[in-house]
Amino acid sequence: MASILGVGQSGLAAAQVGITTTGHNITNAATPGYSRQLVIQNSAGGQLTGNGFVGQGTEVSAIRRVYDNYTAERVNSAQTSKAALDTYASQISQINNLFADATTGLSPALQDFFSKVQGVAANPGGNAERQTLLSSAAGLTGRFQSVDGQLAQISEGINTQIAGSVTNINSFSKQIASLNDAIEKATAGANGVPPNDLLDQRDLAITELSKEVKVSVSNQPGSGYNVTIGNGQPLVIGTTVFTVQPVPSVTDQSRLELAYQNGTSLTRIPESAIAGGNLGGLFDFRANSLDPARNELGRVAIGLASAVNDQSRLGLDQNGQPGKVFFNVAGPKITPSSINTGNEQIGANISDVNALTASDYRIAYDGSNYKITRLKDNVVVSNGAFPTAAVDGITFNKTAGSIPAAIGDNYLVRPTVDGGASIALALTDKSQIAAAAPIVTAAPSANGGNARISAGSVNANYLAAPLVSTLTLRYNAGSIDSVPAGASGFPQAFASGSNLTFGGITLSITGVPVNGDIFTVAPNTTGVGDGRNAVALGALQTAAKLDNGTSTFASAFGQLVSNVGNKTREVQVSGAAESKLLANTLAIQQSQSGVNLDEEASNLLRYQQAYQAAGKIMQTASTLFDVLLSLGK
Amino acid sequence: MRISTASFYENASGKISQLQSTLAEKQTQIASGRRILTPADDPVGAAAALDVSQAQAVNTQYGANRESAKNALSLQESSLGQYTNLLQNIKTLTIAAGNAALDDTQRKSIATELSGNLEDLVGISNTRDSAGNYIFAGYKSTVQPFAQTAAGVTYSGDQGQRLLQVSASRQLALNDSGDAIFQNIKTGNGKFTTAAASVNTGTGIVNPGSVTNQAALTNHNYSIDFNVAGGNTSFNVYDLTLDPGRTAPLAASGPYVSGQAISFDGVQFDISGAPANNDKFSLQPSTNQSVFKTVGDLINTLNTPATGATGKAALQTGLSIANGNLSAALDTVLTVRASGGARLQELDMLDSEGADRGLQYAARLSSLQDLDYAKAITELTQQQVTLQAAQQSFVKIANLSLFDYIR
Repeated sequence: MASILGVGQSGLAAAQVGITTTGHNITNAATPGYSRQLVIQNSAGGQLTGNGFVGQGTEVSAIRRVYDNYTAERVNSAQTSKAALDTYASQISQINNLFADATTGLSPALQDFFSKVQGVAANPGGNAERQTLLSSAAGLTGRFQSVDGQLAQISEGINTQIAGSVTNINSFSKQIASLNDAIEKATAGANGVPPNDLLDQRDLAITELSKEVKVSVSNQPGSGYNVTIGNGQPLVIGTTVFTVQPVPSVTDQSRLELAYQNGTSLTRIPESAIAGGNLGGLFDFRANSLDPARNELGRVAIGLASAVNDQSRLGLDQNGQPGKVFFNVAGPKITPSSINTGNEQIGANISDVNALTASDYRIAYDGSNYKITRLKDNVVVSNGAFPTAAVDGITFNKTAGSIPAAIGDNYLVRPTVDGGASIALALTDKSQIAAAAPIVTAAPSANGGNARISAGSVNANYLAAPLVSTLTLRYNAGSIDSVPAGASGFPQAFASGSNLTFGGITLSITGVPVNGDIFTVAPNTTGVGDGRNAVALGALQTAAKLDNGTSTFASAFGQLVSNVGNKTREVQVSGAAESKLLANTLAIQQSQSGVNLDEEASNLLRYQQAYQAAGKIMQTASTLFDVLLSLGK
Repeated sequence: MRISTASFYENASGKISQLQSTLAEKQTQIASGRRILTPADDPVGAAAALDVSQAQAVNTQYGANRESAKNALSLQESSLGQYTNLLQNIKTLTIAAGNAALDDTQRKSIATELSGNLEDLVGISNTRDSAGNYIFAGYKSTVQPFAQTAAGVTYSGDQGQRLLQVSASRQLALNDSGDAIFQNIKTGNGKFTTAAASVNTGTGIVNPGSVTNQAALTNHNYSIDFNVAGGNTSFNVYDLTLDPGRTAPLAASGPYVSGQAISFDGVQFDISGAPANNDKFSLQPSTNQSVFKTVGDLINTLNTPATGATGKAALQTGLSIANGNLSAALDTVLTVRASGGARLQELDMLDSEGADRGLQYAARLSSLQDLDYAKAITELTQQQVTLQAAQQSFVKIANLSLFDYIR
């Protein structure tokens, strides 16, 4: 009799566990990271009687969670990639939107500036034309500054996000360590039976951590999960937590990097070692999209300023003074590493804007030579002593400090990073616009021949020795000589229409001169109607002055827009692909571990009926007992 | 495959929000009329659109430059048209003054009229544009280029030609300097001038002559010296540049026949009338002389009384020289006007080319960034249907639950 009750009771108990577990599953159907649990039920075995083995009912051997480590790893890896791409996409879309509107970008300001230059060329003496050119130039510099300012803001935003991400990483590390501890204790207290819900929580913490940064996890029996990042720097070992910290870069205080704290010492983790996750996406975006965009913008600004300044200096302003610098713009920014031993100063000058790249450079001292590495493609562009020959349009030099340079001292050179922020109008008055050319030529009426002298043009060599007084040239017997003889560059053979070049001046004499005909080249003094230099300034709009003579200013900016657009699209497309992959792996994981309510409903019915049936067994036992009792009445 | 309830809901909401975002993007495209909303939508197209809009702006700028150039050239053309009429008037007066029936008084009245014309000439040469700039001053547009002084009309401008970019490959001159128009006019026939010495006592008149052999020209100064001995008139030609001491007469020397061509060293001219003994005629390379000096000299010639045969000969010579110089001045201005006209014509051609180009750019820009509405609206409708279907099917499926049947 006892055994019938016992069997019934075992069935009741098992059904109860089943109903509880089903209820647990149902209530956690929407809990993130929850794996459905199964009740593993065995037969309780038989007891040998005279009739053979009589069954003793059932027993619950385990409550197991449905969880597959391999699938979980795939989910975590997909989470890492997707988080990185999502972060990249949301950051770069800011730049993408910044360049989205063709009417507010840099291009219309550039076009407006050159259009006003043409206005001055058409009426060099016009005050209104000159004033609008100055206003338009100020507008152009404002546009450069505003675009750069927005990029700088994005850069600051990244620092905030890095700090936030690092806080998250540390908090997940702590969670994992304490869960390691709890799981070990719970397991030990339950004779090795795993605490399913704690395991779920720990796996969820790993998944969440994977969204922040790529981690590798190893399961050490007896101590729990060990978590490492980067090149194997541990975050969690058993119950011990190692924290990471955001620290300013040694070469740029405004740039946060990741450092790993080991006891009291801080070790910087190279950005390149941190891949994936939110943090990896931020680093990747900053290094491969934000910095290049700022540098490129700066390069256009420096290129424009340099070309306009060079041409402006070749001209003559309304006061008859040599042309001044039109735009001010900052040069290369050089920052010594804060951990340098020596205090030698490195200098850099842009010598050729045409050869300039948008890359940054790192200079490292090896005890005798300075190795200059172009960071865009990690090519060593120079390895020798200072000063260097021009490297990508930049010359480097050094000023010895009070402490000599030591091996390993290094410097970061960013040639164009400040271009966009620093470009500003240098001219203060409309009369300073150098619209005129500095020379004026003439063929006196007294000449016997009909030869005419061209207006002539000057190049940078002219500035070394500008004309101070009229230079008279005389034709005699097939050659042109100066009067008095001896001017540099003379005599030269005469050929009608071919160029005569001397002292930075190029001109031609066309026609048939007779012996003794003279031609004069004089400093231009009162040529207020002369717009030759303004025409030359206007021609810069379509002149290819960047990328070794292959890009105009507008096309270089167009290239920047196109690069940002391409990268945005690339990230969006890879993000979509990664989302698909993640959705698939999640679907696989959910198909194993997820709770299906219909399934649980049927389980509920099953266990309910099992309970009812087991109750019936006990009722039967009770009825049987009553039969026995009634025998005695 | 097992579908977990959570992933069913997640999938459905993910799909629906994705459909909504594509729908929203399509709506933005339709509302803005632009196919490319951000560079990421079509990076190549976005960059190309920037390039094309820059090219379009440059093209428009060249159009504006051509307008300025046309204004400047038209103003110059109308001034030079007046100048040409004036020159022709002066020339007519010069020919009228050659009428042998006129006496000194009548010539003086012509001279008075010419003085008025000279004033007009100076006025035209100092023409200003609407901004008050002198158009014939070269680069020195704020300096009055021509001023009448005791020494005649002087030029204070320079020989500068203002250029303007009127198309991608063409810089066009907006002006011609006063120097080129009014000053640099070759005397005589453009190569050499002939003149009678002022002390001549005979009635010999020399004509302007012509070049017969360009290659033989020497640009030397020559003198033709007359000898009258025993009723025979002969002349000696000396090359004063090589032979200032008049030692070796050239081969062209010989007996004089009135009106017979004298030629040497590639030049040919004739002397008519009756030169006296020791009369001299000179032949010199042409020099540049301003139209003001030409007219001034002409006025002086007409104001000088023509007494006797000598005086008449001097008058004829003076008129002949003036006539030649005036023709040269006319030639010069007509050449300048022809070149200005050619530039105006070129501007018209460039204008129509620029207009074509502008249309091309606009078409290209439109094809790059404008939305194909028919296609966009079809797509919108399609996406709308898909979204509705997704929403309805989701609600239907979500309503299926076994729990509904557990009573």
